[in-house]
Amino acid sequence: MVKTTTEQKNLLVNDFTQGGAHTTHQVVVPRYYGDTLLSLAHENENIVCLSADLTSPTETDIFRDTFPKRFINVGIAEANMVGIAGGLARGGMQPWLHTFCSFATRRCYDQVAMQIAYPKLNAKVVGFLPGLSTILGVTHQAIDDIALMRAIPNMTIIEPSGPAQVPAAVRAAAEHNGPVYLRLIRAAFAKTQSTEWEPMTIGRAEQLRKGTDFVLFASGITVSLALQAADLLEAQDFSVSVVNIPSVKPLDNQFIEKNSACHRLVVTIENHSIIGGLGSAVAECLAELDTAAPLLRIGVRDVFSQGASQPYLLDQHGLTPQAIADAIIKRTQP
Amino acid sequence: MTTSSDLIQSNRTCAPWFPTRADWQQKGRLRLSSDVLELVVHALRRAVVTMVARQGQGYVQQGLGAADIFASLYFHEMFIDPQSPASPIRDRFLLSTAHNSALFHATLALRGMIDSNLLDDYVKDGSTLEINVSERLGPVVEGTFGSLGQGPSVACGLAVSDRIKGRENRTYLVLGDGELQEGQVWEAAMFAGSEKLSNMCIVLDLNWLQVEGHSDSVLRMNPISDKWRAFGWNVIDIDGNHIGSILNALQSARKHTAAPTLIVASTKPGNGAKILENVFSHNAKLSQETATTALLQLGEYKW
Repeated sequence: MVKTTTEQKNLLVNDFTQGGAHTTHQVVVPRYYGDTLLSLAHENENIVCLSADLTSPTETDIFRDTFPKRFINVGIAEANMVGIAGGLARGGMQPWLHTFCSFATRRCYDQVAMQIAYPKLNAKVVGFLPGLSTILGVTHQAIDDIALMRAIPNMTIIEPSGPAQVPAAVRAAAEHNGPVYLRLIRAAFAKTQSTEWEPMTIGRAEQLRKGTDFVLFASGITVSLALQAADLLEAQDFSVSVVNIPSVKPLDNQFIEKNSACHRLVVTIENHSIIGGLGSAVAECLAELDTAAPLLRIGVRDVFSQGASQPYLLDQHGLTPQAIADAIIKRTQP
Repeated sequence: MTTSSDLIQSNRTCAPWFPTRADWQQKGRLRLSSDVLELVVHALRRAVVTMVARQGQGYVQQGLGAADIFASLYFHEMFIDPQSPASPIRDRFLLSTAHNSALFHATLALRGMIDSNLLDDYVKDGSTLEINVSERLGPVVEGTFGSLGQGPSVACGLAVSDRIKGRENRTYLVLGDGELQEGQVWEAAMFAGSEKLSNMCIVLDLNWLQVEGHSDSVLRMNPISDKWRAFGWNVIDIDGNHIGSILNALQSARKHTAAPTLIVASTKPGNGAKILENVFSHNAKLSQETATTALLQLGEYKW
């Protein structure tokens, strides 16, 4: 082992996706995911945690330090990690495997389909860095992960709207006896004391605001963007519904059916390509109805992005509250 | 979907062309002697030729080549409870080369794990005996590996689960040599070596067969054993068509507690039927005429 001085040790970065150019905020934020997984692991001794050299960035360092025998770092080998998870599940464990969203899907798609989804194993694929959330560039930007996972039979997809919904999302994943893709983002800020923890149920949409003109469907970070866009639209005398879709698969088709006819426009807002994700899922649902309002899909418009800060990227791709409000008004003009 | 328990409970009448023996269907490690295992191998080879000939083409070469390996694992080495294939104390078996299905299904039938009548439906539409073995057949199939190179990773996961739970089960995997061209095999090899998963044993069916012909003409793979040694494995090179050598290697693997074991088993495609021996074809033609000759060369049942 090479010896390091204290001074040198101060230079070490444990969690490389926090700090530096990666984040605009430098405050320490609670690890809502890591804490929830840890408490589940206390309750269920069959839970095992796998990491592919991304332990701190996936908040699983606390699991590693608490349950070292149930923690496996497979190295930078995602395909192998998925296969190992399949074997662990077949051996009676409940594996939770962790990496970035793009590596959990694109990188090991066949393995997820054949070694987890086909046998309906009780394994949880957990991805971080969804969509345009990272400076790390196209390699790390999962703009197609939902499209990929949605196409796999037996797969359930969960994406909480923010820190307040993370614990419920993680528990819902744990309680679902089968394959789950959990799409997560590190919290940028701590939940305030006054904010209530949000529940969630797989397959159920959550109406956050009720209006009559437009209905905005959103998931993950776009939920708060949709709420802010709704404020801007209401300032212009539009009446807006906002709906959180925490599970794009199974989709709450009933809710969408019921709400599509009573609004002038259905809008989907996603941190993902408009191909294959929330927008596509809603479009598929609407297309089979006899009467439905017109649809506007807002998201990454079938392009690769680039490495830059999250605010910059969201701005570039029309995913700011103002750009969303403008796009909706433009769509409704004759 | 037919479940395995249905199969077990169904009337286990034998397909007339496929005689079985009750003493080969007992629970436990059978530890059959080399002499008796030769009878098992012979029965498996006849089954492979018969089953593949019905389609006129198929995975006959691999089946004949690997029959000694399957006989040694199922009828000597592994703890199996045919009535309860998901028994928690069973040894686990994964077939990474899922297309070696005639042999695998015949082995399951001979060991009493599926009804041998099912062999008549092999590869027929609607049959659970698919040409790439699927776990649709039930818990007697511990994984679905038609997509090559994925078996070793799953074996690692099973071995780790046994280690975490403190179970004595062993995990066996038959791997194809062509699969060594898949990168994931080496990810798993590095992991198992690093984790010293001595409760797993891979038998490499080294038959030099792949879709485009002799493996060396597709991609140079040698030296194979040294590669695995470098990854931290206990490697044993044997003649995979010699029962005694296979049994010795399996015993040595069981005793080796410092590392996972790879048994590099050189096998001869088409072994046992002169007309098929050393025909290097991933999918070989097998007309009724050729099959009849092959069965004659294999000889009648010896019990």
